[in-house]
Amino acid sequence: MNSVSRSGRRALVATAGITATALALSACGGDDGDGGGSGGGGDSLIVGTTDKITTIDPAGSYDNGSFAVMNQVYPFLMNTPLGSPDVEPDIAESAEFTSPTEYTVTLKDGLTFANGNELTASDVKFSFDRMVAINDENGPASLLYNLDSVEAPDDTIVVFNLKSPDDQVFPQILSSPAGPIVDEDVFAADALTTDQEIVEGNAFAGPYAITNYDQNNLVSYEAFDGYQGLLGAPETETVNVRYYADSSNLKLDVQEGNVDVAFRSLTATDVEDLRSDDSVQVVDGPGGEIRYITFNFNTQPYGATTPEADPAKALAVRQAAAHLIDREELAEQVYKGTYTPLYSYVPEGLTGAVEPLLEQYGDGSGAPDVEAARQVLEAAGVQTPVELDLQYSNDHYGPSSGDEYALIKDQLESSGLFTVNLQTTEWVQYSKDRVADVYPAYQLGWFPDYSDADNYLTPFFLTENFLANHYSDQQVNDLILEQATTVDPAERQALIEQIQAEVAQDLSTLPYLQGAQVAVTGTDVQGAEDTLDPSFKFRYGALSKG
Amino acid sequence: MATATSVPTEAGPAGEPDATPARRRRSWRQLPIVHQLGQSVGLQRGMLVAGLVLMGVFLLTALFAPLLAPYEYGQLRDAEGLFGAQQSPSGDHLLGTTVGGYDVLSRVIWGSRTALYVIVVAVLLSIVAGVLLGLVSGYFGGWLDRVLVVIADAIYAFPALLLAIIVAIVISGGQSSLWGGILAAAISITVVFIPQYFRVVRAETVRIKAEAFVESARVIGASNRRIMLRHVLRNATRTLPLILTLNASEAILTLAGLGFLGFGIEATEAAEWGYDLQQSLSDVTSGIWWTSLFPGLAIVLVVLGLTLVGESLNDLADPRLRTRRRVADQEPAEEGEVAAVPGGALTRGPAGVGGLGVTVAGERPGTPASAGATGAEPADGQVAGPDVTGQDGGGTRS
Amino acid sequence: MTTTTTEPTGGTADPVGAPDPAPRRRRKGSGGLGSYLLVRFLLIFPTIFILVTTVFFLMRATGDPITAALGGRLPADQLAERVREAGYDRPLFTQYLEYLGALVQGDFGTTLSDRRPVLEVLTTFGIATLELTVYALIVAFIVGIPLGMLAAYSRDRFPDAVLRVFAILCYATPVFFAGLLLKLVFASGLGWLPVAGRASTGTEIELQFLDNPTGFYLIDAIQTGDWDVISDVLEHAVLPAIALGLLTAGIFLRLVRTNVIGTLGTGYVEAARSRGVAESRLLRKHAYRPALIPIITVMGLQIAILLVGAVLTETTFEWKGLGFQLAQYLQARDFVAVQGIVVLLAVIVAVTNFIVDIIAALIDPRVRY
Repeated sequence: MNSVSRSGRRALVATAGITATALALSACGGDDGDGGGSGGGGDSLIVGTTDKITTIDPAGSYDNGSFAVMNQVYPFLMNTPLGSPDVEPDIAESAEFTSPTEYTVTLKDGLTFANGNELTASDVKFSFDRMVAINDENGPASLLYNLDSVEAPDDTIVVFNLKSPDDQVFPQILSSPAGPIVDEDVFAADALTTDQEIVEGNAFAGPYAITNYDQNNLVSYEAFDGYQGLLGAPETETVNVRYYADSSNLKLDVQEGNVDVAFRSLTATDVEDLRSDDSVQVVDGPGGEIRYITFNFNTQPYGATTPEADPAKALAVRQAAAHLIDREELAEQVYKGTYTPLYSYVPEGLTGAVEPLLEQYGDGSGAPDVEAARQVLEAAGVQTPVELDLQYSNDHYGPSSGDEYALIKDQLESSGLFTVNLQTTEWVQYSKDRVADVYPAYQLGWFPDYSDADNYLTPFFLTENFLANHYSDQQVNDLILEQATTVDPAERQALIEQIQAEVAQDLSTLPYLQGAQVAVTGTDVQGAEDTLDPSFKFRYGALSKG
Repeated sequence: MATATSVPTEAGPAGEPDATPARRRRSWRQLPIVHQLGQSVGLQRGMLVAGLVLMGVFLLTALFAPLLAPYEYGQLRDAEGLFGAQQSPSGDHLLGTTVGGYDVLSRVIWGSRTALYVIVVAVLLSIVAGVLLGLVSGYFGGWLDRVLVVIADAIYAFPALLLAIIVAIVISGGQSSLWGGILAAAISITVVFIPQYFRVVRAETVRIKAEAFVESARVIGASNRRIMLRHVLRNATRTLPLILTLNASEAILTLAGLGFLGFGIEATEAAEWGYDLQQSLSDVTSGIWWTSLFPGLAIVLVVLGLTLVGESLNDLADPRLRTRRRVADQEPAEEGEVAAVPGGALTRGPAGVGGLGVTVAGERPGTPASAGATGAEPADGQVAGPDVTGQDGGGTRS
Repeated sequence: MTTTTTEPTGGTADPVGAPDPAPRRRRKGSGGLGSYLLVRFLLIFPTIFILVTTVFFLMRATGDPITAALGGRLPADQLAERVREAGYDRPLFTQYLEYLGALVQGDFGTTLSDRRPVLEVLTTFGIATLELTVYALIVAFIVGIPLGMLAAYSRDRFPDAVLRVFAILCYATPVFFAGLLLKLVFASGLGWLPVAGRASTGTEIELQFLDNPTGFYLIDAIQTGDWDVISDVLEHAVLPAIALGLLTAGIFLRLVRTNVIGTLGTGYVEAARSRGVAESRLLRKHAYRPALIPIITVMGLQIAILLVGAVLTETTFEWKGLGFQLAQYLQARDFVAVQGIVVLLAVIVAVTNFIVDIIAALIDPRVRY
């Protein structure tokens, strides 16, 4: 016993020694110092986002996070002014069709990059040529589907030779992820250039240049005074962008004032909570993101390859679903107003948007109508309840997809007309399955490449389309091709409206939600409302703090 | 020196000669946990009881979830319409509703069922595989042992959760049905656990293999299989209740981690605490405390219960740690029972072992001196073994 | 930990012919120790090889990064075309050999989801994780060891029970739940500490303009000599260090308690005393010896646990280290990045295990095989 206590003392002494050392370590490690050196103040802003950057080489990325950076630092030939979805020349003097297959852009004089290199037609030609040549698997080269070749006859004139004539979408494409202009002296012609080389080469000519680049952590921008484009000089000299992975951290930081502007993407709960917080302001703008249910025309109930194939019954099933969906409930319960009900194929805010689904389905004012659904099914002789397999992706369209689809299932089932088998699949498998006719009905979302109605029609409703859902309507197909080459804006708009009405009859897809753009800013920040426009490009230059 | 050192060592795991009479007295009191419960005193008993109560509540909740839960786990509305999202606790929803509009109480209750499924499947699978592999590997040694050790080490080296994530994606093929999700979670946990069981059982096996009683059994001519099953397995698995409970709790934590990182089971398929926690992330920062607190507490309490039981069992199995009762209460025979060579096997190998035990018992150092401080727990010798013997080797060295 | 070093336990011939080279005596066994360590060292390589292989095939089974990135954007045929161009449709084994070939030449490749050289990713984020781990271990030591001693000495009394329940709660609480609670109280509620990240924006900028940034923010901050920067870095470290540190502290606490009780067990003391070993010598020389192996082993295993904990802690607190990145890359199916990180983790753990083995072997020669 004696020995126990003795050894015990010894151990205690030893531990005390360790503890003392550890405490000493932690004393210099933990307790000291109040008030950290927080940045900001003066003519600078901190923006927070949960976006991710793949690369700032335009040829190598095709995602929102990377494009958000490019919109600040690269010039475009065509761009959208603040507040509008329609494109105008950016660093160009003029841009027009000089022949049906020749689109000619004249650059402004005396353009330079931030590194001092001249920005000439040769850089423009280089930018498009290299994008096509590299054709990176993660890049947007496929947007240049109609581009045959680029010529630069002199320093300020660029001629795009197109494959099909009178392409009304092409000017929009020049403002898309395929359109940034880069420095031929810094970028490689046949391979991607690393972000580090780009930043070191200072190959920027947009409203801002990057001065410090710590990928997906912190990017510092400084206004570039050589930019002469459409957007004008930035309001704020220095902008720092912090990258978050978890939106709740971003939310707390904007609330605490560590971040001046939070944009993309706070959760619905965060936004709702911040709306009632006096220390911040919540700014809403129209959003380009849409959510829709896609029906596979072969495998949906009564689809073409099912044993009881019957196009009329299949249509009735789709219509019944359209009658039953309660968009308001989805927008409110699941998204707390950060998404709004969508009754059209082209979302609100874009030129040509109409709401054919509003009158045709439900009670005519947006609410669901069980009786109408029952009647349409009865009229077609469909046995109820209809069994519907509904799929969604739990990891691609945000954390609320599960709640969104649980509610849709609930809405369809509580009518008594449907039995829904709801299933979810992880995204990679989902992407493969959906085009392999595995899912009879499934969730998809869309974020536009450029702010034109065409980008909400062509990918979906041509006979050969992105959905691969076997929807084929010759008239719709022809109308879509026609609008793309209709030069007169009013005439083209009429065609776009007609297409939407036609598709609303067929219900190839059932759109139901449109995402709003929401920025949360400190009370002393202005300008967020100007850039939350239907171009869906968030421009730091519009923001100021004072 | 030779006898003095070897004797206590072998006596421990080999079991007391008293084991034989103890066996005859076997009754419900000898059932694993009941036995330990009777063995425990004071705070130790308190902790064990607390753990058992928590586990009992967990098991009962899981079993009677349909009766206990006011709503289904995937229920969004009742006769009066939608529950509404993030409603604070009220008469209709005692613990409020989640961001998805589910009843929190119901999901916490149903979640116990999912957790139980995963624990049972994961632990069963990994014990069977891990113990078998560990036993074979440790007993036979050789190249098989080396290969298995390297593989186990390699898998063990990989952060468990990440392996679980990858395996979960591969197994489920991304589908998230109830059993798909449970199996994915369970199997991915299993893959991670096998090396742990393997390591422990193998190490014990290697140790026990070197014990004199195994040697004796060999000399007598017992078959490898017999030695493995009769002697080594019994003794090598002594630590398993501890690992089992710890792994059960780790299974819950891994499941929760999977759910938290977005690889969990969907809300309409089953209630799962980790998934609910993940869904409630932004609630926490918005002052909505009820959606995360209760699933979080459920995880903590279940893991706490399991760990309390596991540690108590461990302490009770380890005489160094067991709370000493008065000597008069001591029942050395029970001790032997835990790790005993079964009495019925007195014929061959065990007889030798038993015999050895008997002959050396008198020499056991603890026995004569035990009166004052401790009961003569057999395993004392086991613990003391290396320390004592190490003295001339280590002593001179250090 | 039991049998003997001096006693020839294996007196009988080994019937299965298992290699049992364990020398019976340390003094005679030094050659055996050398070859044992050599074997253990060489075993590091197959360990890493197995991991790399496992992860390679598992990751490929989870899907390709192109579909992950562009599946919602491109028509199926274009997608397939891109997958083909990237070479992901070739036989797996070909890709595997290619990958191994590159790896042997030290070419870890470039990440697919953010196009960074993997080696750069490893060094940049590895240091961040190292920093967090160091802080967490400090917390674990400060909390775990004294409390473990306290628990052992107040064994079976009230403080012991409280401390044990505390220890269990430390590791029973999922790190992300603990992190959430800590954030809720200290960052969001009381406003004492920052919510997330490794430093505030101003500090980050200041650190990046250093001449020789190490990536270890505390060292970098000290380099600036600016007290505000140093305290900012430290403030950011407090919550993540506590969250991750307590997880480990619980384990340390239990371990210290168990082993202190164990080694001081009276049975042992009595046994030794009965054999006439001088008590002072016994305690001084040998009492802690048997306690060392489990402690060392667990410390070694802590590396793996810490790394797992780091994934969740780093994710919760936006601590941009290896664990955080690994979770991100996993989401993006970026197998190049995941494999790179796994190789590094495998090396770390294998080397740690090797060191643990060396120490264990030095303490108890019988663990050799």
